[in-house]
Amino acid sequence: MSGKNVLLSVQGLTVNFFSAKGIVRAVQDVSFSIAKGRMLAIVGESGCGKTATALSIMRLIPADQGKVLAGRVLFQGLDLLSLSEPQMRHIRGNEVAIIFQEAAASLNPVQTVGRQIAECIQTHKNKNPDEAWAEAVELLTRVGIAEAEQRARQYPHELSGGMQQRVMIAMAISCGPKLLIADEPTTGLDTTVQSEILDLLDGLRAQYAMSVLLITHDVSIVAERADEVAVMYASRIVEFADSQRLTTKPLHPYTQGLIQSQPRLGMSARRLYTIPGSVADPIDFPAGCKFHPRCRIGCSDNRCRTTEPILREVKPGRFVACWYALEKDKPTRAINIGIKHGG
Amino acid sequence: MKRLVEQGSDWGISFGQIVWRRFVKSWLNVVCLVFIAILLLVAVLAPFLANDKPYVIRIAGRLHFPLFAGLQRGDYCVFLAGFVGFWQLIQLSRNSRRLEPFVRGDALWRQLSINSTIILFGCALVFVSIRPSLDGKDYKALVASGKASDAIFTPVPYGYTQTDIRSCHQPPNREHWLGTDDVGADVLCRLIHGSRISLSVGFVAVGISSIIGVVVGAFLGYFGGKVDFFGMRLVEMVMAIPMFFLIITMLAFFPRNLFGIMIIIGVTSWTGNARLVRAEFLKLRKQDFVQAALSLGLPLRNVLFRHILPNGITPVLVNATFGISGAIFIEAALSFLGFGAGPATPSWGQMLSSGVSTTGRFLWWLTLFPGLAIFLTVLAYNMLGQGLRDALDPRLEKRV
Repeated sequence: MSGKNVLLSVQGLTVNFFSAKGIVRAVQDVSFSIAKGRMLAIVGESGCGKTATALSIMRLIPADQGKVLAGRVLFQGLDLLSLSEPQMRHIRGNEVAIIFQEAAASLNPVQTVGRQIAECIQTHKNKNPDEAWAEAVELLTRVGIAEAEQRARQYPHELSGGMQQRVMIAMAISCGPKLLIADEPTTGLDTTVQSEILDLLDGLRAQYAMSVLLITHDVSIVAERADEVAVMYASRIVEFADSQRLTTKPLHPYTQGLIQSQPRLGMSARRLYTIPGSVADPIDFPAGCKFHPRCRIGCSDNRCRTTEPILREVKPGRFVACWYALEKDKPTRAINIGIKHGG
Repeated sequence: MKRLVEQGSDWGISFGQIVWRRFVKSWLNVVCLVFIAILLLVAVLAPFLANDKPYVIRIAGRLHFPLFAGLQRGDYCVFLAGFVGFWQLIQLSRNSRRLEPFVRGDALWRQLSINSTIILFGCALVFVSIRPSLDGKDYKALVASGKASDAIFTPVPYGYTQTDIRSCHQPPNREHWLGTDDVGADVLCRLIHGSRISLSVGFVAVGISSIIGVVVGAFLGYFGGKVDFFGMRLVEMVMAIPMFFLIITMLAFFPRNLFGIMIIIGVTSWTGNARLVRAEFLKLRKQDFVQAALSLGLPLRNVLFRHILPNGITPVLVNATFGISGAIFIEAALSFLGFGAGPATPSWGQMLSSGVSTTGRFLWWLTLFPGLAIFLTVLAYNMLGQGLRDALDPRLEKRV
C-alpha cells in the first residue's frame, strides 16, 4: 500500500443493484489498492460483491441494473468514475482489460477468434486489418496456442474451454493494458488446465509488467500466486493482508473458515470443515457484524450482534474487520474453539 | 494481399455456408431460387426479349441496330444494376472459397459499398450523358413493304407501349401468345416488362424498410428503459396507421410515380423489422460477449452492428423475403385500384384490372396471366422465406 507505486486505488466504493425484490447492496465501502506489477486477489463466496467491484472499476454496470453510489476509482491518479463515456472507451481494453469467467459465453459466436482479437487491436492501435491479424496470431502463440494461424481462423465453438480462456487472455492483453482484471478465470476448467491458465497469467504479468486483480472463490490458488489478498464477505472487505500471512495465520473467523474448508495434502480422513449457514442475503443483511450468525464467536456475542466492526489495521499491513481479531481481544471461551482448527 | 490459401478445409465453416448447405438440401427451395433467378434475368433483359425494334435490320443496303440505339436511360440503369448485382454474387461465392473467414465480413462490406457507389454514379452518368431515344419507326411495316430486309426481331416482337386498336381483345393466338389487351398491346410483352416494376418495388421498398427497422430496433433494444418505452409507443403509433389507406392518401396528393410508391411502402412497413430487431437486441445485450466487447473499449457502433446484429439478423432476413412479396402485392393492389404508376407503365396489377374492363366482357387471358405472374412470384418469395427460416433455425438441424 505504498504511496507512489500505486496503479489502481479504489476508495470507499459503494454499489447498489436494483432487483424486483429490493435494493441489493452489492458493494459497501470497499477500498484497496494495487501497486504496479503486483497481483491482488479478491476472495469470497458467490454473491459477496467481487464481480460487482470488478465491473464498477470498468464502469460496466448497466445503468438500469445498478449504480455506483459513492467512492473513487483512481487509476494512475485519474478517477475513472468521473470520466466521460468516450474517455472510458479509451481506457477499456487499452489500459484496463478484463477476463470474464465464462470464456465460451464471452466470445462472439459468429466471428472467428482471430478476428475478434484483431478488432481490438484495430480499434486501439490504428493498425490495418492485415497487421492486426498478424499481431493476433502472434498473441495466440504467446498465450500458448499451438498452430495459432489455424486456430485464429476457427470459431469459438471449435475450441476447447482452456483454449477459449487463452483466447480471452490474448484479447485482454492485446493492447498491453497496465491492469488486468481476471474475474474467476479458471471456473469450469479442469484442475490441470486451471493451473496452466494461472501460470500463464503469472508469466504474462511479469512479461508485460502489468498488475493483476484476480477474483476468485478458491483460496488455494491464491496462496502461491497473489502478492496480497483481500477477503470479501457480504459486500465488504473483511480482511486484507499479504498472501503469505493471510493463508498461514488468518485473523478473521470467516477467512479461517475458508482456509479450513480446503482439503490439504496429508490431511487425516475426517469430514472437511464447512462454515455453518449460508451467505448473508444482500437485500436484507443482518444487523451488526454481517458474519455473526455464522461465526463461532459472534453468534453469542452482544457487540457482534449490534455493531458492525470497521476494517482496521491490527498489525502493520494487516487489516481486519472483526472485534476479536487479535488473540488478546477474544473472549476466553471462544479462544479454544477458534484456534484449534486454525492454520 | 489476402492470402489465397490452399488448405481451404482447415477453415471453419462459416455460418453462411452452413445455412446455404442446409438451404439447398430441399428441392423446393432450389426451385424457388431458380424461379426468382429466371425472373430477375427476364427483368434485366426485358428489352432484348420483347421489343418492337429488331436487333438488326438492313435499310437501303445499310445495316442498322435499332434495338441498341433505342435503349432508354432506364434500361441502361437496369443493365448496370443487374450486371453489378451479378458481379456481387460472383464475388460472394469467391469470398467463401478464397478469403479467410475473418476478412470476409470486411470484404463484403467493401464490395457492397463499392458496388452500390458504382450503381449510383453510373445511373447519374447515364442520366447526364444519354439522351432519350425517339425512334418511332414502324420496322415491321418497313419489312412488309419491302423497304428493309434481313431483320432479326426479338422473340416477342412488340413494344410495351405499342398499341394497335385493330388487334385489341384478342385471346391467345400465334401472333400474340398470351393475347392482347383493350388497346391492342401484347400481354406477354407487358408481362415481361412488368416484372421489372414488381421486382424493383419489392427490393427498394424492402431495402428501405429493413435499414430503418434495423437501426431503430437496434437502438431501442440496446438502450432499453425509457428510450425503449417511448420508442415502442412511437412504433405502435406508426403501426396503428392503416398503411394501405395512407399510401392511397399520399398518392392522391403527390404526383404518381413508381419511386414514390416504393418509398412510401418502405417508410411505412419498417415497424415489423424494428420489433424483431428490438426483441433480438433485448435478448442479446445481456449476453456475456456483449459485455466482453464493451470491456474491450470497442465503439458502440461496432458493438451494435458487428457483434450484436450478426447474432440477431436472421429474423430480418426472413422478414425481408416475406416483405418483398408483400411489397409486390401492395404495388399490384394499388395498380389494380388505379393508384399505380399510370396506364403506360406495364404493371402486373394494372394489367389485371384491365381484365374486367369497360366492355363488360370477362377477358380471361388478361386476368389469368398477370394473376399467375403475381401469384407465382409472391409464392416463390414466401417459400424462399420459409426455406430460409428453416435453414437458419439450428433446432431443425437434426431432422434435415
